[in-house]
Amino acid sequence: MDTFNNFLTGTTTLFSDPVGILIFFGGVIGGMLFGAIPGVSMLTLAAILLPFTAHLSAEHGIMLFSVIYCTGVYGGAITAILFNIPGAPENAPTAFDGYPMTLDGRAGKAVGAAVMCSAIGGVVSCVIMMFATAPIAGWAISAFGPPEIFALVFFGLAVAASVGAKTFWKGWLSIMAGLMIAVIGLDPVGGIERYNFDMPYLAAGIHFIPTILGFFAVSEIFIQAEKKATGAYKAPKLSVDFPTFKELWMQKIAVIRSIIIGFFCGILPGIGATLAAFMGYNEAARWSKNKQKFGTGEIEGVISSETANNAATGAAMIPLLALGLPGGALTAMMVGVFQMHDMEPGPLVFINSPDLVWVVFSAMFFANVSILLVGFLEAKTIVNLLRIPFQFLAPMILLLATVGAYAVRGLTIDVIVMFVAGVAGFFLRRSGYSVAGIVLGLILGKIGEQTFAQAMQMLHFEFSGFLGRPIALGLLIAGAMTIIGSVYGAFFKKVPAVARTD
Amino acid sequence: MSRLKTSHIVEAAFWLTLVAIFFAYSFEFNKEIEIYKYGATLWPRTILFLMALAAIGQLIDQYKNGDTTSSSKMAAAHEEPEANPEHSGLAWYTSTAIILAIPFVYMNLPEYITGSMNVAEDAREQTLANMKLMCAAGLFILYLILGWRNHVGAILALPIFFAAVLQDMGFYAMAPLFIVGVMILMGERRVSRMALVMPLIYGLLLLFFVALLYVGLPTGNINPFYNFGNWIVTLLQ
Repeated sequence: MDTFNNFLTGTTTLFSDPVGILIFFGGVIGGMLFGAIPGVSMLTLAAILLPFTAHLSAEHGIMLFSVIYCTGVYGGAITAILFNIPGAPENAPTAFDGYPMTLDGRAGKAVGAAVMCSAIGGVVSCVIMMFATAPIAGWAISAFGPPEIFALVFFGLAVAASVGAKTFWKGWLSIMAGLMIAVIGLDPVGGIERYNFDMPYLAAGIHFIPTILGFFAVSEIFIQAEKKATGAYKAPKLSVDFPTFKELWMQKIAVIRSIIIGFFCGILPGIGATLAAFMGYNEAARWSKNKQKFGTGEIEGVISSETANNAATGAAMIPLLALGLPGGALTAMMVGVFQMHDMEPGPLVFINSPDLVWVVFSAMFFANVSILLVGFLEAKTIVNLLRIPFQFLAPMILLLATVGAYAVRGLTIDVIVMFVAGVAGFFLRRSGYSVAGIVLGLILGKIGEQTFAQAMQMLHFEFSGFLGRPIALGLLIAGAMTIIGSVYGAFFKKVPAVARTD
Repeated sequence: MSRLKTSHIVEAAFWLTLVAIFFAYSFEFNKEIEIYKYGATLWPRTILFLMALAAIGQLIDQYKNGDTTSSSKMAAAHEEPEANPEHSGLAWYTSTAIILAIPFVYMNLPEYITGSMNVAEDAREQTLANMKLMCAAGLFILYLILGWRNHVGAILALPIFFAAVLQDMGFYAMAPLFIVGVMILMGERRVSRMALVMPLIYGLLLLFFVALLYVGLPTGNINPFYNFGNWIVTLLQ
C-alpha cells in the first residue's frame, strides 16, 4: 500500500509542476526521436543534455534521463527495423527479424509490435522496480560495505568486458582505457596528483562530460560522416501498417518470457538491456514453434527482443538507486547528474530524497505508457523528421556538443578534449573497441579505487579479509570466473564470425 | 600458422607503448601515503599490468585466429562496419595524422614565433594577435590542401581546428563558418540550401542558449572577432 501511495505522490508531484511536465514530454519525444534518427542515439541526446542538467533540479535532471532511457531504448528499434541500423546494441536482435520484415513490406507490423511490446515490457519492469528497489536498498545499507561495492564493481566490469565489445580482449582494453582516464587527477586517498604531465588542466583530472560527449555524440557523427563520404549512408523511408491485436495476443508467452529474462538481465551491472535483448531473442528462437523462420522476418523475434530490452530499463535502475552502481552508459551518465548536484546515488537516496526517487519511478512508468500513445503517433507523423538530411543534422549536433562542453566550466580546452575524444572514439570504434566500455570504466574507476582503498583499510590490508565476507567473495569469484571463461572462450572455443542479417 | 597482419602488430605496439609511458610516469608520484600503505601507484600499475596482459593476449589470439574473432551474435552487434580500404593503410593514416596535427600547431606556433622575435613588451600582445591571424590563415590553407585529398581526415580535423580557434576568434564569428564547413564536408553543394540552413541553425542556437538560457560562449580576444561577438551578445541579451 505504501508503494501505491508513494507512486501516487510521485505522480501528483510530477504532473502538478509545469516545468516537470515540460521536461517529461521533452524527454519522451527527444528519446524516441534521437533513438530513431539514424546516426545518433539516445546516448547522443543524453550526452548533449548532461551539462545543462546543472541548471535543472536534481529531481528534474534524473527524471529527464530516466525518461530518455525508456523511450530511447524503444526508439532505436525503428532504425533497426527500417534500415538494419540498430540505434544501440540492445536493438541489434530486433534487426535480425525486423529488417527482413521491412524487406517483405511488413515494416509497419514490425514497428507496431515493437511499440506494443516495448511499452508492455517497460511498464511491467517499472512496477517490479517500484516494489523491489526500496527493500534492496534497505538490505544494501546493512549488507553492502566498501568490500562488497568494490567486488560488485569488479564483477560488473568483468561482465561488461566479456560481452560489451567485438572480442573479450577489446572489451577488456576498452574498460582498462576508461579506468586509466579516471586515474588522471588526484588520488582519492592521499590527494596526490597523478599523470598531470605538468599541465594545470590535468591536475583536477579530465572532466567526464567532454569525454562522454566526445566518445558518444562526436564519434557517432564522424562514423556517419565517413559513411557519407563513402556513399554507405542510407537515407530513411517508411511505410506504416500496424499488427492486429490477435497477432500480438498469440505472442503472449514470448512477451512474458522476455519480461522475466529482461528484468533479471537488467539488474546485473555492466550488461543490462543488451544481454536482455539477446537472451530474449535466443530463448524465443529456442522455444518457438517457428524456430526455423527466425532471422527471416518472424514477428516473434521482434517482440522478444523489444520486450526484453525495455524490461531491462526498470531493472537497471535498481543497482543504480539501491547500490549507487551504474550498469550501462546511460545510467553512468545519471551518476554524473547526481554528482553535478553534489549527491551520490545509493541506498541513502531513499532516506535523503524519497521525493526524487518516486518522481523518477512515476516518470518512468508514464514514459513507458507514453511509448504506446506517442510511439504510434511518432511512427506515423514525427518519423517524417527522419527525412532531415544528415548534412544539416551533423553541424547542429556538433555545435550543441560544443556549447555543452564549454558550458560546464567555461573552458575552451574542454571543447578541444571533447573533439579529441571524438576522434579517439572514431578510431577505437572502427577497430571494434567499445566506447560504452571506456565510459563505464571512467565512471566506475573512481568508485572502484575509492571503495578498494576503504575496503583494504577496513580489512587491515589483508586480502584474506574478503573470505569472511560471503557477498564480496561470491562477487569476486563470479567476476574471476567470467574473465577466466572469456579467456578460455577466446583461445579454445573459437567459432567463425557470425554474419549480421543483411 | 600465423594470421597476424601489420595492423595487429601496430595495435599491440600502441597499447604496450601506452603502458610503458604511463608506467614510467608513475614513478613521478610514487609517494607514501601515511594511512594507505599501497600509496598512489598500486591502482594505476595494476590497471597497466592488466592492460599489458590484454594487449598480449589479443596479439596471441590474433596470431592464432586472425580477425575471425566474433564468438557470438551479441559480439557481432558491437562491430562497426569494416573500415573502407581507401580510409586505411599507412598513407591514409600518415595524411590523417598530419591534418589532425594542424590545430595543435596553431595552438603553439604563434606563441613560439612571437617569443623568438625581439618584440617590445607593450607591442607583444598585438604582435601575438597578428601572428595568430596569420598562422590561422596559413594553416587553414594547408588544411584545405591536405583535406582536398583526404576527405575523412578533413572531417575529423575540422572540429578540433574550430575548437582551437574558439579562444581567440570566438564562437559567434566562427560558428557560421563551421556550419558551412561541416555541410560541405558532408556532401552538400547547393549554395541556396546552405544559405538557408546556416542562419537557421546559427539563429536557433543563439536564441535558445544565449537569449533564453544566458549561456556565456567565448567571444574571442582578437579584433574584429571580439567586437563582433560582443555585438551579438548585446543584441540578444
